[in-house]
Amino acid sequence: MRAMKLSAETYKIQQDFSHFIRTGRQVKIPGVRPAAMAHYRRLVYNVVKDTLETGFPIAFANLPRKKWERMVYQFFSTHTCTAYQVWKLPLDFYTCAVENSWEEKYDIPYLHDLLSFEWAEMELFNMEDVPPPAYVATGSWLLDQLAFNQEYRLLQLKYPVHRETSRRKILQQQGAYFVLVYRLPDTGDIHFTELSPWLAFVTEQLLAGITLTDILSYAPQLNIAVTPALQEDTIAFLRHLQEKQVLLGFIKA
Amino acid sequence: MVGIGFRRDFAAALLQGERIKPDFIEFAPENWMNIGGYWKKQLHKAVEQYPVLCHGLSLSIGSPEPLDMDFLRYVKSFLEEYQVQLYSEHLSYSKCDNAHMYDLLPIPFRRDAVQHISGRIGQVQDYLQRPLVMEIVSYYTPVAAEMSELDFIREIVKTSGCQLLLDVNNIYVNAFNHGYDAREFIRQLPLDKVAYIHMAGHEQVAPDLIIDTHGQPIIDPVYELFDWTAQRLHPVPVLLERDYNIPQLEELNGELQRLKNICQQHWHARYETVS
Repeated sequence: MRAMKLSAETYKIQQDFSHFIRTGRQVKIPGVRPAAMAHYRRLVYNVVKDTLETGFPIAFANLPRKKWERMVYQFFSTHTCTAYQVWKLPLDFYTCAVENSWEEKYDIPYLHDLLSFEWAEMELFNMEDVPPPAYVATGSWLLDQLAFNQEYRLLQLKYPVHRETSRRKILQQQGAYFVLVYRLPDTGDIHFTELSPWLAFVTEQLLAGITLTDILSYAPQLNIAVTPALQEDTIAFLRHLQEKQVLLGFIKA
Repeated sequence: MVGIGFRRDFAAALLQGERIKPDFIEFAPENWMNIGGYWKKQLHKAVEQYPVLCHGLSLSIGSPEPLDMDFLRYVKSFLEEYQVQLYSEHLSYSKCDNAHMYDLLPIPFRRDAVQHISGRIGQVQDYLQRPLVMEIVSYYTPVAAEMSELDFIREIVKTSGCQLLLDVNNIYVNAFNHGYDAREFIRQLPLDKVAYIHMAGHEQVAPDLIIDTHGQPIIDPVYELFDWTAQRLHPVPVLLERDYNIPQLEELNGELQRLKNICQQHWHARYETVS
């Protein structure tokens, strides 16, 4: 419900002014100096452009500039930006891209993957601290539940946007990619690592509290042959995650 | 006491406290609420080291739509968590029809807007259980005004009971852009309501237009206006704002020192009570 001490006329004036700010389309408002109004539009639009260029540095650097500019214009003129924290504006942009099927509209089939990957990095860098479960430093890789750093995103992508920037190379390698993006507890730096489908599955299950033994016993149902080599490689991967501070230790009941 | 806006660009130097030495720091809650990782650690260090004042960006007191109570809940909890001594905001709006625009837009100086905004300030003050300190913003064009800027501000202060943040640079900019006398404008403000002062630089973009950029050093006429204003005020915290084109820290420290000198000159007897 709107606090109606404001008259409909004043409300309309504010709407008209805001509409110009968002679209750049001239509108007549009593007493307003058009040249000064244009400065408001320029200042606001610069904030939006700068924030998106900073939030999506790979997209900005590699997508065709005219397409990027059209996207930014469409975004700000039509999308209701809900984020009161400007660092979250890229999420609004990503949402707008998905809602409006920009992959097709702008003929960039990997656009949503790229925006999703870059937003994950931004979100993780800023997100609130999430305490890990209680854990101890030693235990059984096979039998214990494992304690993970909770500041991560496990992304499933159709294109290798995390390691390629050329459109041709990206499109040639359409497939299924799994990328674990995480924040280092000590420095707050963001790192990522690409996972095979098997290791992505293992990671997902471990995060859900399933033990490695249970995961291995389920593997044949996925047509995966459990061999000593697979078990050793999987544990080696977990040790690697531990070195990277993604996996912190062992949960003891 | 003279402070500076806590910026990531020079956060490390502020925490080191050698090259630049403010009496307090100010930050926008929106930039720090619900964050974690590296910058949360820096924020905690800063709060341990300096008194903190907060200056919000997204309250949008002049918006037509209802206040965002979720946002206010976060603000309240943030102010409490970090024991923030003063919370100020802008007499402007930055969102309309629930779409944020990330800048300070000029409110039409109209009677119904006075009533609308005063009611909202009252709501915020009641909710936060503290006075709201409202900044007189710089603006570049009047918008369908029915009353003068001065009357608009005075009415809001009188009706809402809010306090004022006097940004001396804004008054200088507005006086230039709209052709009035800055000293006369300040003289007619309810100066007993001024709880906080901001100082900043600006940029002239046209023969008849100055933009409040916070990207340049404070110019001498603004220092002079501050000097004149300080003589008419009780001691209040003074903040140096510098958001862009960050210079060498020694230069910023020089600006802080110049502001401190003015404060000490006019508020000497009372200065110790606020530092």
